[in-house]
Amino acid sequence: MSPVALITGSAGGIGQALVTRFGAEGWQVAAATHRGGELAADLADPDQVGRLVERVLDRFGRLDSLIINHARLAMAAVDEHDPVDWWRIVDTNLSGAFCLARDAAPYLIAAEGSIVFIASEWGVSGWPRATAYAASKAGLIGLTRALARELAPTVRVNALAPGAIDTPQMEVDARDAGVSIGEIRARYARGAPLRRIGTPTEVAASVAFLVSSDAANYTGQVLHPNGGTTTP
Amino acid sequence: MSSPLERSSPVALVTGASSGIGAATAERLAASGYRVAVHYGSGRDRAERLAAAIGGAAYAADVADPDAVAVLVGRIEAELGPIELAICNAGFYEEQPLAEVTDAAWRRTLRVMLGGCFHVARAVVPGMRRRRAGSIVTVASELALVGGIGIAPYVAAKAAVIGFSRALAREVAPEIRVNVVAPGPVDTPLLPDRDRQPDYTATIPLRRIGRPDEIAEAILHLAGATFTTGQVYSPNGGVVIG
Repeated sequence: MSPVALITGSAGGIGQALVTRFGAEGWQVAAATHRGGELAADLADPDQVGRLVERVLDRFGRLDSLIINHARLAMAAVDEHDPVDWWRIVDTNLSGAFCLARDAAPYLIAAEGSIVFIASEWGVSGWPRATAYAASKAGLIGLTRALARELAPTVRVNALAPGAIDTPQMEVDARDAGVSIGEIRARYARGAPLRRIGTPTEVAASVAFLVSSDAANYTGQVLHPNGGTTTP
Repeated sequence: MSSPLERSSPVALVTGASSGIGAATAERLAASGYRVAVHYGSGRDRAERLAAAIGGAAYAADVADPDAVAVLVGRIEAELGPIELAICNAGFYEEQPLAEVTDAAWRRTLRVMLGGCFHVARAVVPGMRRRRAGSIVTVASELALVGGIGIAPYVAAKAAVIGFSRALAREVAPEIRVNVVAPGPVDTPLLPDRDRQPDYTATIPLRRIGRPDEIAEAILHLAGATFTTGQVYSPNGGVVIG
């Protein structure tokens, strides 16, 4: 029977590329998005996370890979960000990820599977007016390191920290910076040694690698598809 | 009545200052001329004794509550003066297998450790920015860099503190600096007994756990390091190298 991957944030730019890539590789894909459908869930709510994992198991009978890709992002200065909204970002991105990993762990252990967290370059380097998002993404990297040790040697846990990727998120960044989408793309491209932004398919390829047997000796690691922006 | 000297002393807030690293930092700051707001969550007697001993004042608040922290900062600034230095240190340490971490335990860990930084920052940043001077030091942990077993909430929260601090450092520059201290094993009430045993300390390159005053020294350095922002400094005896 084909292995099963639960992919969150499956309707977004990177999410769609993940669904396509995993489908092409013969995975059964449990595609979850807050935007609706059979596996719709508000991942900031631990009860809904628990029910999502149950629904995936009811429907597919097993779980081999957990790809935590969903994210919420709103830009605001630290002292102007309503704490309720600030925490909603952290709870969706980080608490939702934690609860998913905790609730899915028994099934992933049974399948000797793996977890991939999609973090962000902003969680590594920080970004102004994105303290909640940066905190949540840095928290995912911490979670990667803790769970890699705790779930070893059965389940491998890794993360990706993409730089600027050509997704609808570019529109949000452009709005926040008060420039056109073309200008924000060009700005990010200028900031990277490779002089371009990344594509969702490249991110999906890195995730496919991390869950594959080619990456059998990787755990607790963070890959940085970012065109070289964080080269020390 | 405060003397003119006391009124001109800069004010520092140290959260979680009733014991351990927080208490040592409060002492060290007072010795360097700060008036210290000794914040505590539960150790009231210890905090009041310490405040009295160092010429500061003790304040209670739940750092997990943004409104309570806003009130706390308002009181400190009214009673002691504008806060020039905020040390976000409040925290606790718990070990639990992943499967046994309740939703409430996860939430509390995040709200105290990460919230303790966010809630303080949002309350002190407007004044620091207006006065064009301020320094914030957050306290993370070496464990945020390397992980560990049975401590996923703690590691995630401390790693989140690092990400938060780096984002904040970019946002509030150039008026305000933000840095992180990520201590290794230190002789405080939070340290598990296991980490005091010779079979563990023998694995530490410097062959011992740290003292709270050594971490306080690192915090004091970062607080006044005028060309340093967004940095993570880990006094850890060599537990993490590279």
